[in-house]
Amino acid sequence: MNRRFRAIAIAAALTASLSAAQWLKYPTSGVPKTPSGLPNLGAPAPRTSDGKVDFSGMWEADNRPCPPGGCNDMPLSAQFLDIGAGLPGELPYQPWAAEVVKQRTAIAGQGDHESHCLPSGVPRMLWHPTFRRIVQFPDLLLFLNERNLSYRQVFTDGRPLPADPQPSWNGYSTGRWEGDTLVVETNGLRDGLWLDRKGDPLTGAAKVTERFRRPNYGNLEVDVTIDDPNAYTKPWTATVQQFIVLNTELLAYFCNENERDVAHFVGK
Amino acid sequence: MKSIFVAIIAISAPLGAQWLNYPTPGVPKAANGKPNLSAPAPKTADGKPDFSGMWQAFRGVMNTNRPCPTGECDELRDTDHWLNYGAGMPGGLPYQPWAAAKLKQREADLGKDDPTSYCLPLGTPRDLVAPGFKKIVHTPGLMVLMNERNASFRQIFIDGRPLPEDPQPSWSGYSTAKWEGDTLVVQTNGLRDDMWLDRSGSPLTDAAKVTERFRRPNYGHLEIEVSIDDPKAYTKPWTATKITENIRLNTEMLDDNCVEGERDMKHMVGK
Repeated sequence: MNRRFRAIAIAAALTASLSAAQWLKYPTSGVPKTPSGLPNLGAPAPRTSDGKVDFSGMWEADNRPCPPGGCNDMPLSAQFLDIGAGLPGELPYQPWAAEVVKQRTAIAGQGDHESHCLPSGVPRMLWHPTFRRIVQFPDLLLFLNERNLSYRQVFTDGRPLPADPQPSWNGYSTGRWEGDTLVVETNGLRDGLWLDRKGDPLTGAAKVTERFRRPNYGNLEVDVTIDDPNAYTKPWTATVQQFIVLNTELLAYFCNENERDVAHFVGK
Repeated sequence: MKSIFVAIIAISAPLGAQWLNYPTPGVPKAANGKPNLSAPAPKTADGKPDFSGMWQAFRGVMNTNRPCPTGECDELRDTDHWLNYGAGMPGGLPYQPWAAAKLKQREADLGKDDPTSYCLPLGTPRDLVAPGFKKIVHTPGLMVLMNERNASFRQIFIDGRPLPEDPQPSWSGYSTAKWEGDTLVVQTNGLRDDMWLDRSGSPLTDAAKVTERFRRPNYGHLEIEVSIDDPKAYTKPWTATKITENIRLNTEMLDDNCVEGERDMKHMVGK
């Protein structure tokens, strides 16, 4: 928040005559504080009235500090570039998948659906650099993304996954509690999803399992397991961090508004 | 539902996916076991009317009350307000002269510049009357209006915060709400300057203040009264005829991503 605030403040100073709008800074309610009055990010995670861990809040995938003078863009997490970052060795690609990733790297990722303003899809939206809000209901976990102001629903009312879902960018997600962990399972994803900028593929055969934990007030940890025998020789798991964002609001980012980039995606 | 069934049979080889038919819980039933749409509206734990549910704008009686062919419609129908927010108002909307001229020009070139045709957002309050399904969920402090179109959403804050004084102009603007009895009164500012309220091209400018009054008179219906105070585009504030939304049961939101497979834009050249 500080980082973005600083960047915006600088941008606003540079373009003050063009755009002097107010930064959204309404204070987040219920933030635990340290004796010195700062947010206590290590305080226990909040709970809902039914005793479950409450994942509600605004979150971002990376919160590295800005260089002096501010950031001029949202930071890209290592996993946004390569979801395998930090995992030992390569992802267990099927031969065709290894070949596809090589090709995509060679042509500088020009076919990435995100670059063409199509949805991020599940689970990639978790590591997109813009903010997202989680709103937790007893029967629904709702994700609200700044990117294209788009939502994703996770049904926690005990319904089963559909046996033969319509393939889609977000698939169909249900969640169940295992203690303080919410285990979210997704099927019904479409063929041709990219998991990251590198082009790691996800196919219509994928089952995605996300295990959400909130170890403290300030952090979410999500173990993302990809079981996609079309693209990978065995299931694999990446752990994705999310950091709380306070005292601001979601801003809309519409990728295809005044879009001028696609014409230049010609590879190397 | 019937039309979807027919469609699935017709193309069952390439596309055999299952229709989402998980039953909606808590539906009040009539003696014959059918949903009782005129049962009282549900309430939240704090006693407020609960607007949660999937909704679809009633397609109206003015221009679009075309009967469906036998066996149901094969496409979502445009609503009256979608075509013109002044539908049913005597004399129509009180356009400023430039706005009236703009409307004429937009009619002449077949509305080719409508932002929604370029996959841009619906914006507030056009998101209420788009022909697809909507879903509302709310906590005591926040109401979220989801829209199948681009799987998009709008937030409405009910936590007592004020409207920002100088908001960044945007398609959705900034919406806050307060209760007046069983009516949720939503106010929005911070809209951008070049929005289309409807397919006719009725303009909405950054001077607009939009007020939406949400009521749920019974289980099956939502009623919304939309008032626009936009002195740049209209000679006086006006209130649209009541928008009615019908509950939709036993299915789920399907995402319609406008940009996907988009082939229309280059053909939008007017006459």
